[in-house]
Amino acid sequence: MEAVLAENVNILYDSYRAVEGLNFKLEEGETLLLLGPNGAGKTTLLKTISGFHRSYEGKLLIFGKEPAEAKELISYVPQSHSLNEVVPLKAIEVVSVGAIYKEGFFHFRFPKNAIKKAKEALNFVGLKHEAEKPFNKLSGGQKQRVLLARALISNPKLLLLDEPLSALDPSARAEVAAVLGKIKREKKITMIITTHDINPLIEIGDKVMLLNKKLIAFGSPEEVLRDEIIKSVYGPLARAIKVESRLYCITGDVHLMGGHL
Amino acid sequence: MIPEYLIRALLASVMISVLLGLLSPLINMKGLAFLTHATFHSLLFGAVLGMILGLIFENLELVMWTALIITIVVVLTIAELEKKGFTPDAAVGIIASFVAGLTVLSFGILYKVMAEKPYFPFSENIVSYLTGEVFLITLNDLLTLVIGGAFIFFLMILLYRDFLYISFDPEGVESYGGNVRVYLMILYVIVGAIGALIVKTVGLITLQVIAVLPGAIAMMVSSNIKKILAVSLFLTLTVELLSIVMAYKTNIPPSGIATIMLGAIYGVLLFRR
Repeated sequence: MEAVLAENVNILYDSYRAVEGLNFKLEEGETLLLLGPNGAGKTTLLKTISGFHRSYEGKLLIFGKEPAEAKELISYVPQSHSLNEVVPLKAIEVVSVGAIYKEGFFHFRFPKNAIKKAKEALNFVGLKHEAEKPFNKLSGGQKQRVLLARALISNPKLLLLDEPLSALDPSARAEVAAVLGKIKREKKITMIITTHDINPLIEIGDKVMLLNKKLIAFGSPEEVLRDEIIKSVYGPLARAIKVESRLYCITGDVHLMGGHL
Repeated sequence: MIPEYLIRALLASVMISVLLGLLSPLINMKGLAFLTHATFHSLLFGAVLGMILGLIFENLELVMWTALIITIVVVLTIAELEKKGFTPDAAVGIIASFVAGLTVLSFGILYKVMAEKPYFPFSENIVSYLTGEVFLITLNDLLTLVIGGAFIFFLMILLYRDFLYISFDPEGVESYGGNVRVYLMILYVIVGAIGALIVKTVGLITLQVIAVLPGAIAMMVSSNIKKILAVSLFLTLTVELLSIVMAYKTNIPPSGIATIMLGAIYGVLLFRR
């Protein structure tokens, strides 16, 4: 079964089409890298798939269900700067959020199984020893890994990640990319990842989508990351290059390439 | 021998401190200072409306209940506007301007009704809503404060973690199955209900400061939620009780003393930074 199936999907804000002409199919276990300039509609598409944004036309199915009915199958990882870090939560408390809202309205006490799951998830992302540390005292890469742990705790079939590498330094990007690779290899979860810098993630990307208020291109990295396609969105300075059989994409948004150059 | 009115004032202060000590960090963390401001102003509108009704029906109890109902209607309307896509500040701004206008209009009506039915306790009552009159609290007022306060206290304790989570990442809570809108509505209603319960004793002019500053101060001295709550509770309780003792000795309104003390502590901490 397809993890995501979009046929003639147009995403609407009132009567305005924010993103149009979406036709694509993502198989279970595949990772889609969603690329596009600011305002291209990447977050809008993620929010529509996650069921947050419900105004769209066309056929959009997540494991055969409408997005609003597939919420239990999806984990959404927001951009970390959208979090209100004034609230002094510990890393383990942030992770537990992913488990406790499946049951009950009052959460005065943490269910023991939520704590157990949270510890396991933190262990998976390599933050076993940071569980009691305040979230706002963690490094950028650690924060992103905590959010990944929170996303994993509910055993999703589809993981949606909004700019997981934004505002991270190159080593933190590599750190987060390594955890995403581990999720792909060991958990085989379908992932859709929006990014401005595709290079650190290119090895885990089965498919790439280029978006600019409409679907520009969709296919394997080799099919999409071609000069003429990239230039049509990012301008004449953008280009795709191959170094030692590895593909790199220079879009003008990002100047440092994947930590390999 | 401690006068009975002083004992009542001290007991009321303990309840007020517990409620505000818990609420204040949430107001700061969720960024609800503007909403709190609007909510507390709607209390004045509700109180004036309650006085008009109280004069007509000759029942003083109507003042607090009308203030409570109006405040809850106001916070629910703000929540509804937010649901329709207005930013929290825009929603509060729209409603606050209506409430301010209606308050002035209702004062005009109140004066007319008072002229027709001179019922003097009410003129004192309106002043107590502005400045707070903790020494005038009756046994009945104290009972209402304790019973209502206890209910709100337990509700806040039960939902405190959820309130923290929706302050930290509402989208995250929503995506994992939590109903953020319902939690937010309950939090807004708690803000309004606490205001309605204590406004007569604390006073509208100082309520905003006493509701916001303890949490702000606690967050300046600690980054651990348990410590923040402990500091906020301790600070509110100390300032409230001290202000009552000082007011008893000096005959100055206690809410004024409490506000100046809190302002001084906040100022000193800011300078030390």
